Formats: sequence, structure tokens, C-alpha cells
Amino acid sequence: MLSIIFYFQVHQPYRLSHYNVLDIAKDKDFFDEPLNKEVMQKVAQKCYLPTNKLLLKLINRFEGKFKVAFSITGTAIEQFKKYSPETLESFQALVDTGCVETLGETYFHSLTSLYDSNEFLDQIGMHRELMFKEFGCYPTTFRNTELIYQDRISDLVYEYKGFTTMLTEGVDRILKWRSPLYAYKNYSKRLNLLLKYYKLSDDIAFRFSNREWPEYPLTVEKFVSWVDKLTHSETEERNQFLNLFMDYETFGEHQWAESGIFDFLEKLPEAILKHDHLSFIHPKDAAELSNYQQEAISFPEAVSWADEERDTTAWLGNDMQQNAQETLAELMFKVKAKGDEELLRKARLLTTSDHFYYMCTKYFQDGDVHKYFSPYDSPDQAYVYYINALAGLEERLLR
Amino acid sequence: MRVLMFTWEFPPLIAGGLGMACYGMVKSLLKLGVEVDLVLPTEELIYMPLRKVEDVDLLPTVFLDPIKQHEFKSKEFQSKEEKFEFIGISGIPESYAQLSLSDDEHSKILQEYWDAELRDIDDRKLWQAMSDNLVGEEDIIRKVQIFTQRAKRFASELKFDLIHAHDWLTYPAGMIARKISGKPMVAHIHATEFDRAGGPGDERVHKIEHAGMSFADRVIAVSQYTAQMIMSRYQIDSGKICIVHNAFTIPEDAVLNKKRIFAGPVILFLGRITLQKGPEYFLEMAKRVLDRHPDARFIMAGTGDMGRQMLRDSAAKRLKNKFLFTGFLNRKEVERIIRASDIYVLPSISEPFGISPLEAMAYGITSIISKQSGVSEVVQNAFKIDYWDVDLWVQTISHLIDNPEKCTQLGLDGMKEVHLIQWDDAAEKLKKVYEDKCLPVKTKTEKGKV
Repeated sequence: MLSIIFYFQVHQPYRLSHYNVLDIAKDKDFFDEPLNKEVMQKVAQKCYLPTNKLLLKLINRFEGKFKVAFSITGTAIEQFKKYSPETLESFQALVDTGCVETLGETYFHSLTSLYDSNEFLDQIGMHRELMFKEFGCYPTTFRNTELIYQDRISDLVYEYKGFTTMLTEGVDRILKWRSPLYAYKNYSKRLNLLLKYYKLSDDIAFRFSNREWPEYPLTVEKFVSWVDKLTHSETEERNQFLNLFMDYETFGEHQWAESGIFDFLEKLPEAILKHDHLSFIHPKDAAELSNYQQEAISFPEAVSWADEERDTTAWLGNDMQQNAQETLAELMFKVKAKGDEELLRKARLLTTSDHFYYMCTKYFQDGDVHKYFSPYDSPDQAYVYYINALAGLEERLLR
Repeated sequence: MRVLMFTWEFPPLIAGGLGMACYGMVKSLLKLGVEVDLVLPTEELIYMPLRKVEDVDLLPTVFLDPIKQHEFKSKEFQSKEEKFEFIGISGIPESYAQLSLSDDEHSKILQEYWDAELRDIDDRKLWQAMSDNLVGEEDIIRKVQIFTQRAKRFASELKFDLIHAHDWLTYPAGMIARKISGKPMVAHIHATEFDRAGGPGDERVHKIEHAGMSFADRVIAVSQYTAQMIMSRYQIDSGKICIVHNAFTIPEDAVLNKKRIFAGPVILFLGRITLQKGPEYFLEMAKRVLDRHPDARFIMAGTGDMGRQMLRDSAAKRLKNKFLFTGFLNRKEVERIIRASDIYVLPSISEPFGISPLEAMAYGITSIISKQSGVSEVVQNAFKIDYWDVDLWVQTISHLIDNPEKCTQLGLDGMKEVHLIQWDDAAEKLKKVYEDKCLPVKTKTEKGKV
């Protein structure tokens, strides 16, 4: 038996405006509302609304056999409400079918797990309450921002109580000879661990429309044959889990509709479900289905799903990113000490990982991806606006 | 008296201090009745006949091409910007003129006007040095080539008594104009290649600077500091050199009172972020002052080739959100950042003059300036420190932060002092140089013709 676990990441940051030193005097808003509105509405039209519609159709058609999971950030939900309420309604309709699991994460899609445990736990709590309010249930599976994971973080998530399972990247240097197709435990054996199968995930998310790719075009038949092949290696009838994790914006945004990505998604469930030994499940169901002793895996260093390195250098790799993060952490402490709710909210919006991603200077192949997603001309510019915003925040604190 | 003036910058075409200096100088010259035909590196072949004081802002424009001139005359512009757009001025002098002429065409011009006619072996050598060195693929060299070729038309079609060329970019144009018209040439030196490069710099530029200054009838240095440099490094005859310090006339619409942006003390660097201006020293002093005064903020205002390096170094030094960058600022924004500052610093490695401390002082901001600058010769109520003496810079800034009353008082004293350093006085000196030069050279030219 092999079960496919689809998890889609849904996130939109509050992008910073071109915030200059002189703007500090004017109390100008840090965030670029027109841009954020435009992006949200564009992505809703190209991705969220059509893909949700398609998923709803597939879920109804296969009567409970087609399942997916979503992790939706707090900043995305807020912006749905402001700029595209029909998008939020369509997600709620999906969750109501019972075939969609909602995952837990930090409300602000932040990197706080790496440097501020208290803030990390606070943001998990905020997100849990939001999930309950919008979707009527508390999540039991946790995925951290960008699948950032290490042993210490699993301790914090366990400490929070209520989570049984965590997701992360199937990083080769950690797994070594092990396969990401089995369910594991975290190092302390308190949480189940599911690992992204990056090869097949990225075939859909990154390579689908790449004409240079030898496997182009990716047909449903070809993909299912690869999935089926994975089961051949298992001779002891252990249940396998194929974790296909990706940004939800893959559908219609990163891979345009013209690439045939919607056709692919539409035909995939039927082609999978034709096979008796293949199925779709939710992340939370994996542990129950694992008919073997789950091995504990230790991740002493932080990993993520980003870039070739699969580490945290996409966000905290260079001096600009580190100076920005250290300044933010110090400022957050002062904001909390003062107890000003409005400023705390602004500081938290600045914890969103995207701000740091825009400052990434790893050029070459991965850098291109960074560039594609950045609203600024250069990492240096992104840094200047961010540091200016932190100075502006500090000045308001001093008033 | 009418002056044909070649300059690379004039508002709204400004990259550094040169544009503001020319503006102040020309405005005051007009007050003294000196008329100026201004030639800028515009996209279109135009000049600006400045006759009245208002003309420095209105910039009346004449196309050399009569058809174009007719079209221009019949056009109605909604705004000044629209007019500048039409004549090809786009704000920052790096961005105009798409040049496409080859070196070949360039040298043809040079041949035509010079080689055959030069009577004087020394002049020929200077000409050779200029034309041999005005070659290269760089954008800026190409722009200078175009500018130089145009000079012959201005020189033969306009009526003027004297040529005034600012810095090396316009020296070849000045030389051509002098040759064609036989009128005296004044070479104004605002900065040498040594100042800009903070080291030897580009040899081609040295050669052109030397040729221009040697060929000129008078050389105007913006300070004693610069006069020394052109005597020792360029071997320019000291009898030809006149010193005319720059000045600063505060705009009439200026708002002088302080308007804070930050609660803590603010230390300002204002200028191009380039080696000459000592940005690295500013960063180092920021690091050390912040260790003692973490509530201070250091602002680096401007742009330049070292901007990115400074940005990344400030992050590497973990200066948090205490070291900020403004990027490019327009005139009004410069005023706002000055009004928000407490201490102005100019840690230049080599600064022929340096107008921006005068501007800061005019707003009552206490200034600390490099001893290696011309401006330190003209102001008393400012601290003067060797650019490399970071310890002393740090002590001085800390002292001023610890004694805000003293800082304010010094700022006020400096303000009074600077308001007396006017362009009108500098223009008087310039006019004397013009008058002194006009007559004798005419005689010489006539002699030559005989």
C-alpha cells in the first residue's frame, strides 16, 4: 500500500512599501497596501479560485477517496478577508467536505522558531485559534515555515500540546540510506514525522512546464507509473507514504494554466485510484496506517525545503539578513515590554519570512527564484526598506 | 562682458557639488552684469543665453539648428520639466545622450581644427596630449567626445569675450573654443583626478587635466588646498592660478528651523558615497560612537559607487537600525534630512572644496570637517580633523552628544558665519579675473595674426 499525502502551502505576506528614512517622520504605513491587494486579487483569480473549484469537484466525484491538506497562514487569511472574501469562502467549503485537513503553523509565517521560542509558541497559538474560528477545528499536524525543522523545534511543538505529527523536508544528508517513503518519529519519539519526497514534488512544482527538462511534458500516465514503481521496492508489505508537498500557487501561478497543470491535477486522482494499492490520505492518518515500528530520526541542525542547500541560508545566510533579524528580535523584546498592542502587531508582521527571503544574495540558479518572488529591484533595496521600517517602529516606541 | 561657459552640471542637471557651485556663481555673475552663454551636455544641440538673474532658473534655450529652433519656439510647454525633457535633460547627468560616434569620426574633427594650424610647438604637444587621451569605450569618454565636437559650433557661431570651462570633462571643449575664437580661456578646477580617485586614478584624465590647465590663460582653484595640488602634481605655473573659494547662498524658500525625525542624536553624512568622501571612515566612527551612545543614529545620504559596499559592511558590523541609507535625495529632501540632523560630518580623504558643510552650517547644524578639504580654509566655527584620525572623530562626536547645549551653540555660531560667505563676493573675484584676462590676450591674438 502506498498513500499519497498532498499538502499545499497557502501564504501571502504583507509586502513592505518603499519605506524611506524621511517617511519615518510622516508615520507612513510600512506596508504597501495597493501592491498587496493587487497580488492577492491576481493570485486569487489565477490560482486560488480555479484550483479550489477543481478540488471541490474532484472531492465530490471520488466520494471521500481524494484527500488533501492545506496550511494557510494568518496573513493570507487576513488578506483574503480584505481583498478576496470569496477565496476564504471557497477554502471553507473545501474543509467542510471532511476531505481537507488544515495544518498548524505560525500565524505570520515567521522564522521565530529559530531565534525566539516564546514568540514562536505565541504565533502557533494565534494560528490555532484562527483555524478554529475560520474552519471549526484545531489542527493536529504541524508544519513550520518553509518546512524548517530541527530536534529543538520538535520539542517546542510537542510542548505546545495538541500536535501529533510534524512535516518536514526529506533531506538526503539526514536520511542517508533511509527512504522518505516511511513514517518516522522525531528524535524523542513523541511526534510522528512525515518527510517530503522532493523529487516527485518538485517535478510538479518546479519542473512541470520546463521544456529543457528531459521528461517534459509530464503526463498523468508517466507520473502514476513513477508512483507505482516506488511500491516495487517494498517487499515486506510495509505501508508507504508519498509526501507531495508544495506551494499551492503552483497551480495557475508558478505553473500557468496554459502549461496544462489544471488538466494534470484533474486527471491525477482517477489515474491513482485505478490502482488498488494506491490511495490518498491526510497527514494525521499516517501514524495509524504505519504497520511497523517507526524509527526515530534526529535533525541536529535546522533544515528547510528551500534551495539546493535545504538549510536556512535563504533567509538568514548573509549579513543583511542576520543584522535585520537580530535587530527585529531586540525590538520585539522592547515592544512587548512596553505592551503597545498596535506596535506589537506591526512588529509581528515584520517577522514574516518573505522579508528576509527578499534580502537573499545567493544568485545563480536559486537566486533567480528569489528574484522572481521579490517585489524589489535588489536584495540591498529590500534590506534598506526593512531596516528603515525597524527604525520607524523604534521611533514610535520612543514617543 | 559675455562668457561662453562649458559645464557638465547645472540645475536641474546635478550629480554633485559642481552643479550647485555653477548655479551660485552664474547667478551672482549675472547680478554683476556679466552675461553667460551656458553649454551643458544635453541630448539636443542647444545653449542657454543667460542675461538676467531670473534666467538661472528659467533657463532660456536656443537650438543651433534653425529648424529645430523654430519647432521649439512654437511649442508650448506645460511645465519646466516638460521643456527639459524636450531638450534632453533628465535630472542626473549620467543618463542623457545616447552616443554613437566612433573614435574615427572624433579624430577627424581633431585633425581638422588643430594639427595643421597650430603655430606653437608647446600648444601642439598639449593638444596631442588631450586628443590622445580622449579615447576609450567608456560611456563618459564618449559623452566628452561628443561634447567636444559640438564646441566648435558654439565657438564659431556665438559672440563672447571669454571661455570658462569647469573640470576636465569640459576642458577639451574649452580648448577647441579658444583655438577657434582666439578668446582667452579660464579653466576652473573643482576637483582633480587625484581627489576623485583617492589615489593615482586614470592617467588619461590626468593628461587632459594637465593639457586643459596648461592651455588655459588662467586657472581658478577652489581652495588653497587645490592650488597646492595643481602646482605640485600638475606643475601649473603659479602665476596663472587664482584662488576663488566656493560659497553657499541659501535658497530663498529654505526653511531653517530644526525638525526632528529621530528622538536620539543624528549624525549625517551627505554626499556621493565614493572613496574620495571617506564613507568607510564614517562607518568606522559610527560603529565606535554607537558602542558608547546606542541611541544615536547615523545617516548616510546620497548614492555612489560604494553604496552597496557600505550597506553590506554596515550589516556585517551589526549596526542594527542605527545606520540608515536614504538613497538619492532631491533638493527639498536634502533640506529635510539636514533639518533632522544634529551633527554633520565630512570625512573626505581629499576634498578640493566641499560645499555641503556650508549648506549644513547654514541650517545651524554643527559640522566636523576633514582637514584635507578646501572648505576648512573658509570656516572657523567647525571642528577640523584629519580624515584618518578616527579616534579624534569619535571623541568629538561623543563630546557633542554629551554636551548638546554646546553643540547647539556651535551650530548657531557656524550659521552666522556661513551666511556671510556669499557667492556675490566670489563672483566679484571671478569678474576681476575675467577683466584682467580679457585685454592682454586679445592683444596677443592680434599679434599672432600679424
